[in-house]
Amino acid sequence: MGTENRLVREAQRDSQAALTELYSVHWRSAYRAAYLVVHDGTAAEDIAQDAFLAAIDALDRFDRRRPFGPWLHRIVVNRAIDWARREALRREVAEPASTPDPPPPPEAVGETMMAALAQLPVEQRATVVLRYLLDYTPGEIARMLDLPRGTVNSRLRRALDRLGDLLGEEQ
Amino acid sequence: MNEERLRALLRETRAPGEAEAERRGLLLVNAAFEQRQARPGRLVLPRLAVALAIGTLLAALLLSPAGAAVRDWIDDVFTVGVQDAQPALTEVPGGGRLLVQSARGPWVVQPDGSRRLLGRYGEATWSPRGLFVGAAAGHTLSAIEPDGTVRWSLSADAPVADPRWSPSGVRIAYRAGRALRVVVGDGSGDTLLDRGVAAVPPVWSPAGHHLLAYVDAPQTLAIVNTDTGERVGVAGAPADLREFDWAGNGSWLLFATRRSLLLRPIAVDKLAGELDLGGGRRIRLPGGAAIESASFSPQGETIAVLLERRDGDRGPRSEVLLIDAAGERPRRLFSAPGHLSDLTWSPDGDSLLIGWPDVDQWVFIPAGGRDRIRAVSDISAAFAPGEPGLASFPRVEGWCCPAPR
Repeated sequence: MGTENRLVREAQRDSQAALTELYSVHWRSAYRAAYLVVHDGTAAEDIAQDAFLAAIDALDRFDRRRPFGPWLHRIVVNRAIDWARREALRREVAEPASTPDPPPPPEAVGETMMAALAQLPVEQRATVVLRYLLDYTPGEIARMLDLPRGTVNSRLRRALDRLGDLLGEEQ
Repeated sequence: MNEERLRALLRETRAPGEAEAERRGLLLVNAAFEQRQARPGRLVLPRLAVALAIGTLLAALLLSPAGAAVRDWIDDVFTVGVQDAQPALTEVPGGGRLLVQSARGPWVVQPDGSRRLLGRYGEATWSPRGLFVGAAAGHTLSAIEPDGTVRWSLSADAPVADPRWSPSGVRIAYRAGRALRVVVGDGSGDTLLDRGVAAVPPVWSPAGHHLLAYVDAPQTLAIVNTDTGERVGVAGAPADLREFDWAGNGSWLLFATRRSLLLRPIAVDKLAGELDLGGGRRIRLPGGAAIESASFSPQGETIAVLLERRDGDRGPRSEVLLIDAAGERPRRLFSAPGHLSDLTWSPDGDSLLIGWPDVDQWVFIPAGGRDRIRAVSDISAAFAPGEPGLASFPRVEGWCCPAPR
C-alpha cells in the first residue's frame, strides 16, 4: 500500500517510470479479471486498457489516500459486466446466421474452469472473480458493485454450488 | 465447491496472449501519459477534451487491438474521419503507385500524388512490375502504359471483365461474358480456357508457373496450366464464394463468402505436375460480421479482413482484422463507424490502404502497429476535377511497385 501510494504520487508528478511500475503491478490482474468475466481475449484487453486510460485521465484528481488497485478493479469489473450484458443482448437479437462463434479455447490449464464459469450468469462470474481471484471481501465487493452485501453473499453461494455441480466436486 | 480449490483454479487460468496484450497496453498507456504531461491546464479537462488533445495517441489507440470502450471515444471524436489528415492527395503515404478507378475511368497515381486519367475504361489491373496496365472497356481488353499510351487491344465476343496479369508478366487472364480466356502479354495467342465460369475473378499462382485458379459454372475450383490447357487440380468451392486469394508463398488458398473465411493448404507436386489441395479450415471471426473483403499480404504471411456488422441503433460499423496465414491470432487493426472499402496491401506489405467513403478519406494504416496512421481527405474530388459536387468515391484497383527507372 505504501509503495503503491508512492507510485501514484510520483506518477502525479509526471514520473513515467512510476506509471510503468503501477502498470506492471496491476496489468495482469486487470486483464485476467476482465477475461474471466467476458471470456473474450480482445474484449478483455480493451477493457483493461480502457481502465488504465481512465486512471491516467483521472490521475491528477486521484485521492492518494485511496488504494489504486481496488479503484482500477472496480472499473474493470463493471465494464466487463456491461460488455457481457451488451454481448448477450446482441446475441439475442442477432439473426441465426450471425450467431457468434464460441470463444477460442483458453490454454489447457484453465479449460475446465473456464467452461464451468461460462455457465454462470455474468453477475455471478464477476462476483466470483472479485472474491476468489482478486481476494476482495463480500463487503468490499458490495461497495464496488453497488450492491447490498446480502446479494453478494447469495451470488457467491449460488456460484459455488453451480461450479461444484459443473466440476463434479463434492461440497 | 471448496473455496480454496476455486481460488487455485482461477489463479491457474491464463488469459490468452497475456504478454503480448501487456506489451500493447503499455505502449498505449505510455503514449497517453506523455500526452497528459504535455497538455496545459490538465486538472480540469474532461475526458473528451483529453481525447481531442492527444493526436498521437490516436495512432496508438487505433493500432492496438484496442477495445470497445476505448474506440468509443474515437467514434465520438472522429466520426468526421481521421484528424490531421492531409487535406489533399499530395503524396502516396508509404510510396508506390496506385491504380484508381473513378466514374471517368482508371487513374495512375504517382508517389507524389500527381495522377493521370488513362481513358474511358471500366476496369484496370497492374502488370506485376507496374510497366503496364491491363484495362477493360466493353468488349475490349487493352494493355496501356502508365502514361496512357495504348500498346495493344483485342476484342472479345462478350464484355470483358476481371483482367488479371500473371506474376511472370507474360500472361493476362480475363473473363469474356461467361468464358475464361488467357492472352500473352504482348496481345498474341488469345486462348479460350473454359466456356462457363462463375463471376469470380481468377487468381494466378504466385509461384511463377502459369497456373490459374478459377471457379467454373458448377462451382468447382479448377486450377489449370495455361500453357498446356491441362487441369492440374479440382476441388469444391463454397456455393456463395465472392473472392479468393492465393498466398504469396503459394501454400494456401483463401476463400471468402459473405459470412465465412476458409483456408485450404495447397502444394504443387512439380514432378507429377499436380496440385494437392488439403482440407479446408474455417477462420473464426466475430459473430454477426459480414465479410466485405479479404486478402493475403504480398508475402503471404498475413491475411487482412474487412468486416462490417450492425452496431445496435448506430448503424453499421466496420473493422479491419489481421490474421496470421494459418488463420490464427486475429488482431484488430482499425475500426470505424460506417462503411469501409478498398482493402489494399502496400507492395511491401507494411501497410494497408482503406477507403472511408462516409468521410471521403483514404486511411493508410501500418500493419505492424508501430508507425502512425495517415489519412488523406477530399478523395472524391481528386478523381473528378472540374466536377464539383458530382464526384463519387473512387475504387482502388491496386497499389504497385515503385516507378520504373
